[in-house]
Amino acid sequence: MSVGRKRIWIAGLSVVISPFVSASLAQEPARAVPEGSVKVVQITGLTGIKKNTGGILVVESGSLRFSHAEMKAEVATASMEDVITGADSQRVIHGTLGSIGLLAAPYGSGRFLSLFRSKLDTLTLKYRDANGGLHGVIFRMPLGKAEVIKKELLAQGARTTVPEEAANASAQSPTAKEQKQ
Amino acid sequence: MKKILWTVMVAATLLTQLAGPPALRAQESKPVKIKASAIKVEMIQSDEIKLPAEFQISLYEDLIQQLQKKGFAQVYRQGDRNAEKAADLVVLHSTVLGFKKGNEELREVTTVAGATSIRMHCTFSDKDGKALLVADVTGKVRFLGGNLRATYDFAKRTAQIAHDHFSPVAGT
Repeated sequence: MSVGRKRIWIAGLSVVISPFVSASLAQEPARAVPEGSVKVVQITGLTGIKKNTGGILVVESGSLRFSHAEMKAEVATASMEDVITGADSQRVIHGTLGSIGLLAAPYGSGRFLSLFRSKLDTLTLKYRDANGGLHGVIFRMPLGKAEVIKKELLAQGARTTVPEEAANASAQSPTAKEQKQ
Repeated sequence: MKKILWTVMVAATLLTQLAGPPALRAQESKPVKIKASAIKVEMIQSDEIKLPAEFQISLYEDLIQQLQKKGFAQVYRQGDRNAEKAADLVVLHSTVLGFKKGNEELREVTTVAGATSIRMHCTFSDKDGKALLVADVTGKVRFLGGNLRATYDFAKRTAQIAHDHFSPVAGT
């Protein structure tokens, strides 16, 4: 192969590959999420942040921080009166009936099938401002992340009306025990 | 021919009486507004009907936002100490009467099934707890939007009721 043909071949190849290379490079900063933080959507409630705004959520130094571009909002964990995940809500509402529904399917497939019902989780917070006013915030996040954030918030001084023990107790209802036997 | 003319005349007379002078009719339908310079929104109560936490919060936050949009200069949250100093304060209590959680995917596919609806009992009272206005309001999402859009619908309707019945200046 002559040098000219080689050059044409390399140039052609680079033209074909370049969109993929630039696309992958462009995606790299978007993927980079600092360790311990979660990509979420703020559904409603944070002062100064529009509804349905995507951003990064971090729990550190006794506060919950939400950031989107230059917009930032912070809530002190000590001011949080209630932290509830979507799963907590379902347990409280559906309780035993919900568990029966899940267990009715054979070989635990109900629980497996339930994963397809929703790939997103919610985290709901109630907190007080400096004047004692009650606020509520809702975040939507990938499934399983809400429980992790809830644990972090509780460890840093937040309170909840659905503690982990209560959640576990409702999950291990008598019907659940019977099914296991 | 006479019969037709007679029918047309009677119909015209009836129509004009029904329509009436426009200004007068508008005055008739307008309720006399109660003086309220500030409104305090209490957290949504759902003791008998279990409501997911995200719906409760969404109802509360949407109510506050919609009331602010409707021109209420002072909208206080539950527990706000500044509300105690406010003159002509109206307190809004909302209790869940019914809740049906629909399905967004089902709505999009069928357009007739999967609607979400929330029925609420709203009481506007004065500082001493005397009821000034009571209304049952329903929020729905039938076609487009997530389940939480029902809370926006409820808030918008409730804010409109508040706007129609309360004003910083009495009687206007």
